[in-house]
Amino acid sequence: MYRKAGRGRVLLLVFLALSIIVITIDYRAGSGGILKTAREWSVAVVAPIQRGFTTVVRPVGDFFASIGELGDLRDENQRLKDRNEQLASENSQADETLDENQRLAELLDLQEAWPAMDNVPARVYAKDAGNYGEGVYIDKGRADGIRPNMPVLAPEGLVGKTLSVTAHESLVLLIVDTNFGANARVKEERDTGLVRGRGSADPLTMILIGKNSDVEVGDEVTTSGLDEIYPPAIPVGDVIRAEVRGGQASKSIDVEPFVDTSKLDYVIVLLPDGKHVGGQSVAGED
Amino acid sequence: MAVSANRRMSGFSELGLGRAASFAGMLLLAVAIQSTLLAQATVLGVIPQLVLVLVVSLAFLDGERVGIVVGFFGGLLIDALLPGAVMGLTALIFTLIGYGVGLLRYMAPPDSVWTPVLTVAGASAVAELGYATLAIIMGQRWVSLEETVKIAGLVVLYNTLLTPFVFPLIKRVADRFRPERVIRL
Repeated sequence: MYRKAGRGRVLLLVFLALSIIVITIDYRAGSGGILKTAREWSVAVVAPIQRGFTTVVRPVGDFFASIGELGDLRDENQRLKDRNEQLASENSQADETLDENQRLAELLDLQEAWPAMDNVPARVYAKDAGNYGEGVYIDKGRADGIRPNMPVLAPEGLVGKTLSVTAHESLVLLIVDTNFGANARVKEERDTGLVRGRGSADPLTMILIGKNSDVEVGDEVTTSGLDEIYPPAIPVGDVIRAEVRGGQASKSIDVEPFVDTSKLDYVIVLLPDGKHVGGQSVAGED
Repeated sequence: MAVSANRRMSGFSELGLGRAASFAGMLLLAVAIQSTLLAQATVLGVIPQLVLVLVVSLAFLDGERVGIVVGFFGGLLIDALLPGAVMGLTALIFTLIGYGVGLLRYMAPPDSVWTPVLTVAGASAVAELGYATLAIIMGQRWVSLEETVKIAGLVVLYNTLLTPFVFPLIKRVADRFRPERVIRL
């Protein structure tokens, strides 16, 4: 220990002031301004390393994901010992390919289900690094026609919307994020309201316009098309609780999303009218 | 070129180009690992905060000035990559933690293997609860209190378990790029 304590006070004050300036700019500029550029640059700089890791460590990640099933794996392992090692390896690869084919077929069905809109298929290559924000990174960006605030779908339903978009990557805000909100409709009742995320551990919440709605557990919630981002009829989730809480003027509803946001692999991004795939000029660019 | 041991240096010049590059490289690597490998190796859905472990480790090894600079840029990088986060909030918390750990190391028993581990545990608790408190005060939409406490507890546990493996690696890189100190005669 060669230095005396306390010499960093000036440096501390400088960097605390810098932090507060950044916070203030973020508050005043909202989603635009210089920090938008900083976010996009950060995504672009980290992306090659993330994508490298994803390519190399995906099997390792699958191993970690299976740690919770260790007991079952032990039995499975015992049985596998009797098998020929090469055959087991080939079987494993074949299963993986079949799974991937299945997912890609579902993705193709999903693309065909949206013939009226251009869309871009993309693969999730990383998750956000935090425990409170809920986002994933996809391997398509501005060059593919993607812009911020475009809807992202999986075969099961709504995934979220794009936020920061670089040339070849996009950050997607997931429906379970506390900052997510979309205008939605209870399919059976035609009642509309706002569906919001509450974190990955809790279901979505939906506030209906009217408190006398007959919404019931099991009803399906879809997007209403009343906001400027999501087209109508995208499946969101099922109602798992519906009640009027004391003193509230509207019915409070819990919605279990159809999409398991912890297991996203392939998604599509819907491009609104005037957007074209393939890096062509885009009308109404933000 | 000789560097005087008693020369007053700013946080940046103290880093030097090679060291600054090595710290920046470690930060980028830590963020990438945190968002790919560790994001899949979660405990009850919670991701360990490898960048925080890096900030604490470097502050512990090299003092409060390095802690402040690495803490600020590490936090800013995390903020920039989080969806919907207030940019600058993690930078603020990590800057304070880098400074605090840099000062605390003068009071720590030298060469104790437990010191960095316990320091990471304490810093993780402060970072998680500090971030949640500031975010709520600033009007951010937030998860439930139970979820916040669960996440904070698991992050402390996971970060602490990672430290015995990660700290020696960080120390090796930091030592590799530490400038030689020559006493001017």
